[in-house]
Amino acid sequence: MSQMMRNAVRSVLASRGRFVLTGAAIMLSVAFLVATLVLADSMRGRAASDIAEAFAGTDAVMQGASLGEPGGGPGDPARSVRQSLDPDITERVASVDDVDGAASQWAGFAKLVVDGSSVGNGTASDVGRNWIADTALNPFRLTSGQPPTEVGEVVIDRSLADDAGVAPGDVVQVLTATGMHDATITGIATFASADAAPLQRTVLLPDAAVSAWLDTAAPTEVLVELAEDADRTEVLGRLSALSDAEVVDGPDYIRTMQDAATSPLQFLNAFLLAFAVVAVLIGATIIFNTFTLTVARRRRESGLLRAIGAERRQVLGGVVIEAAFIGTIATLAGLVCGVAGVDALRWVVGLTGISLLTGPPIVSPTSIAIAATVGIGATILSAWIPARRAAATPPIEALRESAAEPRVVSRARTVSGLVLAGAAIAGGAMAVVGSNPVWLMLAAVIFPALVLCGPAIVTATARWSSPAARRAAGVAGSIAAGNLAASPRRSASTALAFMLGTAMVTMFAIFASSLTSGVGTDVREGLQADLVVTSATPDFSTIDPTLADRIAERPDVDAVTALSKAEGIVEGKAEAIGGIDPTALPTMYDLDPIAGDLADLSSGGVAVVSDDPALLGGTLEIEFERSTIEAPIVAVVARSTGGFEAPLYFVDRATLDASVGRLLDAQVFVDLADGAGTDAEEDVSALVRDAPGSFLATREEHVASSGSEIAAFGNFIDGMLILASLIALLGVANTTALAINERSGEIGLLRAVGATRRELRRIVRLEVALLSFVAASIGIAVAVGFGWALIHVTGGEEIPSVVVPWSRLAVTLVVAVAAGVVAAAWPAFRVSRVPVLELAGRDR
Amino acid sequence: MSPNPDSTIVDRQSESALSADAGDAGDAGDAGDAAAMLVGAGKRYGSDESAVVALDDVTIAFPAGKFTAVMGPSGSGKSTMMHCAAGLDRLTSGRALIGDTDLSTLGDRELTMLRRERIGFVFQTFNLVATLTAEENICLPLTLSGRRPSDAVHDQVVSMLRLGDRLHHRPAELSGGQQQRVAVARALVARPQVVFADEPTGNLDTRSGQEILGFLRSAVDMHHQSIVMVTHDPGAAVWADHVVFVVDGRVHDVMDRPSADSVLDVMRGLGR
Repeated sequence: MSQMMRNAVRSVLASRGRFVLTGAAIMLSVAFLVATLVLADSMRGRAASDIAEAFAGTDAVMQGASLGEPGGGPGDPARSVRQSLDPDITERVASVDDVDGAASQWAGFAKLVVDGSSVGNGTASDVGRNWIADTALNPFRLTSGQPPTEVGEVVIDRSLADDAGVAPGDVVQVLTATGMHDATITGIATFASADAAPLQRTVLLPDAAVSAWLDTAAPTEVLVELAEDADRTEVLGRLSALSDAEVVDGPDYIRTMQDAATSPLQFLNAFLLAFAVVAVLIGATIIFNTFTLTVARRRRESGLLRAIGAERRQVLGGVVIEAAFIGTIATLAGLVCGVAGVDALRWVVGLTGISLLTGPPIVSPTSIAIAATVGIGATILSAWIPARRAAATPPIEALRESAAEPRVVSRARTVSGLVLAGAAIAGGAMAVVGSNPVWLMLAAVIFPALVLCGPAIVTATARWSSPAARRAAGVAGSIAAGNLAASPRRSASTALAFMLGTAMVTMFAIFASSLTSGVGTDVREGLQADLVVTSATPDFSTIDPTLADRIAERPDVDAVTALSKAEGIVEGKAEAIGGIDPTALPTMYDLDPIAGDLADLSSGGVAVVSDDPALLGGTLEIEFERSTIEAPIVAVVARSTGGFEAPLYFVDRATLDASVGRLLDAQVFVDLADGAGTDAEEDVSALVRDAPGSFLATREEHVASSGSEIAAFGNFIDGMLILASLIALLGVANTTALAINERSGEIGLLRAVGATRRELRRIVRLEVALLSFVAASIGIAVAVGFGWALIHVTGGEEIPSVVVPWSRLAVTLVVAVAAGVVAAAWPAFRVSRVPVLELAGRDR
Repeated sequence: MSPNPDSTIVDRQSESALSADAGDAGDAGDAGDAAAMLVGAGKRYGSDESAVVALDDVTIAFPAGKFTAVMGPSGSGKSTMMHCAAGLDRLTSGRALIGDTDLSTLGDRELTMLRRERIGFVFQTFNLVATLTAEENICLPLTLSGRRPSDAVHDQVVSMLRLGDRLHHRPAELSGGQQQRVAVARALVARPQVVFADEPTGNLDTRSGQEILGFLRSAVDMHHQSIVMVTHDPGAAVWADHVVFVVDGRVHDVMDRPSADSVLDVMRGLGR
């Protein structure tokens, strides 16, 4: 066997060029995969260790009873909603035997404002907490300055201080639930040793300022430190006996915090992993192609080996060892590149505007093991099929002169492909008609169907395009089309890598455009107000509640109404609940009521966003942190107020305020008087500018910006796609080079009878252009169909309709063909440089 | 018993070691001095009326310890005959035997083992694995079965073929004659029951060809190696002990101790 091994290694070394490209494809896929895994690990690991360190001194935590589990959606923050604690809970905890220390932890919304503009962007949340004097319990450590003691003094985390360029002694402002407050920075703190708590920007307040600024009557949590010699279980038991509170053991608390800190990043990881899987798939296709060609080239060698007594297993083994050799080297290189490239990936992901956790990469053995297994495994598996074919060839067959692939496309293959395709289309239709995602599984067989039909498609394309190619490019065109048909299986598998790439581009493009449009549709159709004031972030209200009244006082302003939002538990799920003025809002934003009357909200009813008018008349229970309301459903509306985190339920503004306390406004709608000029708009604009956390948009601007979060996401998708395409292009370059090598005799003949180098290059380019055009068209067509069915069936309320970005797809097609031709440039150049005689005489 | 007169032509050569009596051939005990044997062997390609008959009820034995040449015009079935006798290809009817072993009863794996251990091959072209050195190519059949050649046999073969200074070269660094010598060495080094050579001199110049034939001859003379060689070159056939002429998938004639003239005569008679 060591002989076979040496043989395999030498045969790889003997054809370095061919395997460098294959290796590069594997390397890129593995690098991408490992970078994704490492990035995920690093973010989770860093957050986890920071949290563990910060709460190391906390033995137990008292929390309000849990009301409901976090909401379901992929982007939803995983915070659970809890009942509030009693205001005197901390004293009661402190008086329990063997409790050494108890510190109230208040948390609420607080945003740092410096020179009129808020600090920090991205998806991290703005949190205000009290400064805990007990250093053992305080997760924050002061790095400079003094702790805050008087109302109006704050400490901020180091990352905020760096972003804002402020230092102790500077005067700033803090926007909280009770409005804008002037503050002096007394110190800078770190969260354990990190610049900031995971995905949070924290402003730390003195206890005295908590109730006035954060608008909370009772602490969110009580951090507890036990006496050193205490019997832990016993004390925890005593603590749990306290009424209206739940005791959480320190380690459990840390684990929950760790999970909560990283959960917003999980959907991102899933997304990245999906890309990595596709990259690996494309890589595997390329390996498959390379080995199919390699094995074909070595058919006679296999025959010889078999004739002199090599078993199938040994011939197979030779190829597999070769694959393992390439797979291993490429995977190792990929691992190194991946780990080194984590920062690059972080940068690409940063394009989304999603806040990431910083910190050094954590390379876990698991990530390495997964990536290595996938890299080497995919290589060996992709080499296995052609190797098996080679080993199964009877020796005498292999020894015969002609080793060319049969030109004939297997009828059985095509027929079974067509049957599968039919089933896939039927499945897609069933899924759409029955709104049943299960049928989509059947629709997904379109991909194996294409693999099976590939050769037939290529042959048919070559036949149909031949006359056109001849007209366009003369005899070079005919030869190019003929070359495709000459080895349909090889052409088809080259096309496959390309098809996968474009199909993925298309799927994501459709997904992004549909999501953007879905988020924007409600606003586009419902918004009637001239101006809209929006909050700093879509998931947190930041508009000073007095702003609406101040705007209403301006001349030329006809009407103003505000929307507030709070989180409540409905049927066990955390949902956004909107508070509206049921008489004013409909004049500026049409919620499209389909049953009942919105006006009845003022008598304590609730409106549900739904397509089902039959919901009217039911009763809905909404649990808030401090209270529960049970309200009759008095209206059903078809539309919400748009954007991410749009409320699914509306109650009267006063009801919401009464249930959850005073709220900041999420949005303010402003109607200008008829005939009011730009002066009026400018007037309102000045007011809004002076109110931090508020941003003014005209109707057109607001419609356009609804879903703009997703536009940023589009950049990210583009970045990923470039990577995937790069891998696919390597495949095209590789297969083209191999195919040309295989045809060297024929090319030599062409040169011998007088074809110029330019003409040769032209033939190669035409061939690849034709193939990429077909592959990209099919990829786009299939992805449009499948993506449409997928989104149509599973889109739900977030993506009500499918929007196909045709112009973008057209660009994709053009770019795909151009990229294919570019990829073919190198093999085309190489073949045109080889001396005529060498080509003609080269042994196949 | 075959009624086909052609297949019984060999009976005329009563002194010939070639036994073609199907009755005797079927008796395993009687095959003791045949290295390889075909009994009522038929090979057709395709199944319907357009099927091509490559071998038509051939019964022939290749004697042990002798050098047998198989000749015939192009398309006569001589290569097919060799491939089937050597277990590279399967008969559609009849039996092929190597020693006492009936190849038609063997599965792919057993057939592979048989080729590896009991048969040596020399082909016209593409005889060597390009990535292995001459030495490694020579030892390949043994390496495949995890064995090493005995030093004595190895040295003997290498010195006989005068390859000593070429052992660590790759095929691409060897001349055509040298490559073919390596191939012959590979076929001989495992001391197989029978060596099949398919036009071994077809791609060589006359001198190199004669050299190869000389080596094959001396392997027979010195080590009683059984060799079956397909050739269309009368000049090659004269090195053999017997020549079997194949025409249209049948054995047309068998000649002992051939001379260039007698072979040419028969070939001319075959309408070349």
